[in-house]
Amino acid sequence: MNMNEIAELTTTKASPEVFQQLGTITRQLHDALHQLGVMPKLQKAADGIPDARSRLNYIAEKTGAAANRVLNLVDQAKGEHARIAEQTRAIAQSIVADPVKAVASGSLMNFVGDVESATQRIDQHLTDIMMAQDFHDLTGQVVAKVVALAGDLEDSLIKLLVQAAPAEHAKVVEATLNGPVVNPEGRTDVVANQSEVDDLLASLGF
Amino acid sequence: MTAPTDMKFLIVDDFSTMRRIVRGLLKEIGYLNAEEAEDGAVALQMLKNAKFDFVVSDINMPNMNGFELLSQIKKDDGLKHLPVLMVTAEARKEDIVRAAQDGAAGYIVKPFTKATLEEKVQKIMLKLAATA
Repeated sequence: MNMNEIAELTTTKASPEVFQQLGTITRQLHDALHQLGVMPKLQKAADGIPDARSRLNYIAEKTGAAANRVLNLVDQAKGEHARIAEQTRAIAQSIVADPVKAVASGSLMNFVGDVESATQRIDQHLTDIMMAQDFHDLTGQVVAKVVALAGDLEDSLIKLLVQAAPAEHAKVVEATLNGPVVNPEGRTDVVANQSEVDDLLASLGF
Repeated sequence: MTAPTDMKFLIVDDFSTMRRIVRGLLKEIGYLNAEEAEDGAVALQMLKNAKFDFVVSDINMPNMNGFELLSQIKKDDGLKHLPVLMVTAEARKEDIVRAAQDGAAGYIVKPFTKATLEEKVQKIMLKLAATA
């Protein structure tokens, strides 16, 4: 049933008999849920959804902040590196042109001092990059909790589907876009790497 | 034709970190001129308001996804010449085939390397140069 059909149904003026039937069906469903014994677990899982949402937001924020922090630090370290490389080329040219002047003018010692300062700053950037990975530990724990919650919800819904879904509605409809494939092994509908993408496109003449 | 290093890229991805990564990689490859859009709708507006030479787009995005953006670009006489490289986590074969049939110039699955991005961009550039 598509959205237009659903919209048509909801805008149709239903008779009292239809509402009575809907009430009966709802009551039957409610009783069935209790009889199936899945309601308490489903309720518990459903109650956890807002919490799961906040946990997932937490992960998104934590990982996003860490990624941005790392990228900023890499930008800074690359800048330092570029400056050192440029200064190295300049001092090399000075030494080749006039070694005595390069030493006597203090250019060489200035360069040595600059290199030392820059390496200290780069070392600090590297340490900060390492520290930015601390999100992994925190988010890992949160992920484990969300996965457990999702597992509970999945168990409950599968029980419900098996018991309640009419055969013609049992077909699982896949989402249009699935995102990353976590386990490509044994699947023929997905590619596992870039070379498989290239092979597929080449086989189609692209 | 615009010189390769002057080419203006539009990077479309709902994750700012991924936009930064792609932008950083393009910079390392030698393409310094790039702008960013967080979804297809924003990208389409930017493409209509300014001249771009190359689009690198994610697929799974809010508001307007990459397939819709690709379709809009290919429907527009002023934009259909633009090469669109899809860079996405969508690894289903039917998505890859659909992108190619809809006119994508290339398809990269995440996670990817700098070498892969460079190879695909260069390949597309060569194709463009050959047909120019």
